[in-house]
Amino acid sequence: MAMFALELGLCFVATIAFAIIFNIPLRLVWWGGFIGVCTWAIYSLMPVLGLSLVFAAAVAAFFASFVSQWFARFMKVPVTTFSLPGIIPLIPGSRAYETMLAFVQERYLYGLEQGVETVLQAIAIAAGLVFAFSVFSVGKGVGQRYETHR
Amino acid sequence: MEKADDIMAMCLHAGQLMLRYGSETFRVEDTMRRMGQAAGMEQVNTFVTTTAIFLSFKSPVDQRDHIQMLRIEERYQDLSKVTSVNQLSREYVSGLLTSREVKKQLKEIEESPMNYPVWFIYLASGIGGGAFSYLIGSSIMDMLPAALGGLVTAVALVRYQMRLKVKFFSEFLASFTGALIAMLMVQMGLVMNTNQVIIGTIIPLVPGVPLTNAVRDLMSGDLVAGVARGAEAAVSSMSIAGGVAVALTIFFV
Repeated sequence: MAMFALELGLCFVATIAFAIIFNIPLRLVWWGGFIGVCTWAIYSLMPVLGLSLVFAAAVAAFFASFVSQWFARFMKVPVTTFSLPGIIPLIPGSRAYETMLAFVQERYLYGLEQGVETVLQAIAIAAGLVFAFSVFSVGKGVGQRYETHR
Repeated sequence: MEKADDIMAMCLHAGQLMLRYGSETFRVEDTMRRMGQAAGMEQVNTFVTTTAIFLSFKSPVDQRDHIQMLRIEERYQDLSKVTSVNQLSREYVSGLLTSREVKKQLKEIEESPMNYPVWFIYLASGIGGGAFSYLIGSSIMDMLPAALGGLVTAVALVRYQMRLKVKFFSEFLASFTGALIAMLMVQMGLVMNTNQVIIGTIIPLVPGVPLTNAVRDLMSGDLVAGVARGAEAAVSSMSIAGGVAVALTIFFV
């Protein structure tokens, strides 16, 4: 439990540091940190319940993007300000490293396995973002298939 | 009613700043369209890709079409400037500011330095790398080498970009330098968890702005800009991965 609290605290610090790397104004970085902590909590608690990491990444990304949209609407600033630091904790860095290491050591099969997992997690993050964005653009989206409103 | 040329210059300037500092394409289009309409122009049309802006409208004063194109050469990541221009355009559209004031403030935003001094960004990269590395490897001892690596990477990136002015190659060299430092620390026996330190070292280079913008642009129907951003993010990631792979090859093979 203490370990988890430490993780959340460090996640807060990391997210705020990344918000500063992206040059987000200081009055807004705290909200990004809050979203990052919630994202990490979802991402690390869902596998405990027996769900896969990729699904956890998708749900966490959905949450991050959804809350970012609310905050952005509420504070009238671009969404990127919140969603960018919010999804930073989900980056599959460890897997990407394993992939590269495996390829460097010519263990191609293991490298492919890790690479596929990396790509899947990246796609899951993108899917989470897309889902939340879709929820917020209901009624004003573009690119319908049939022109039914005439 | 102001002159159409002035309105055109103001809208283009706002769009140029937003795109240059890392806004999504649809936000640039939306901002310019709203500003043009608020200025009383008719048939406002915008088309924005990752590297260029087109704007056309019809002025009700002289009943003529005005169209201009602007090429965006340089791109940076500075979301605080995007936020300021966004705020400015909102104030203009709701009638709180005149176009003269908007022009003056846009110039101020363009000429102002970065929101944070560059040493603070170095520091944030170090702290961010160290803190993020714990989430990956959960070893408290390895946070310090990871933080040092993150700091070196950020400094290297800025220095290389100042000297070389080549985006992808600088990213490659910066991740190579960072990974080299990290691997040296591993060889000296300062590190328990190599994985954690390498990730902490290169994580400040993550192309977060193009990645999220690619997803959002694709979703909002700006397919050209979305694919372009996605390609940018992919090449960036490949450069970073390549830099690390070269450094690993030196030590592991």
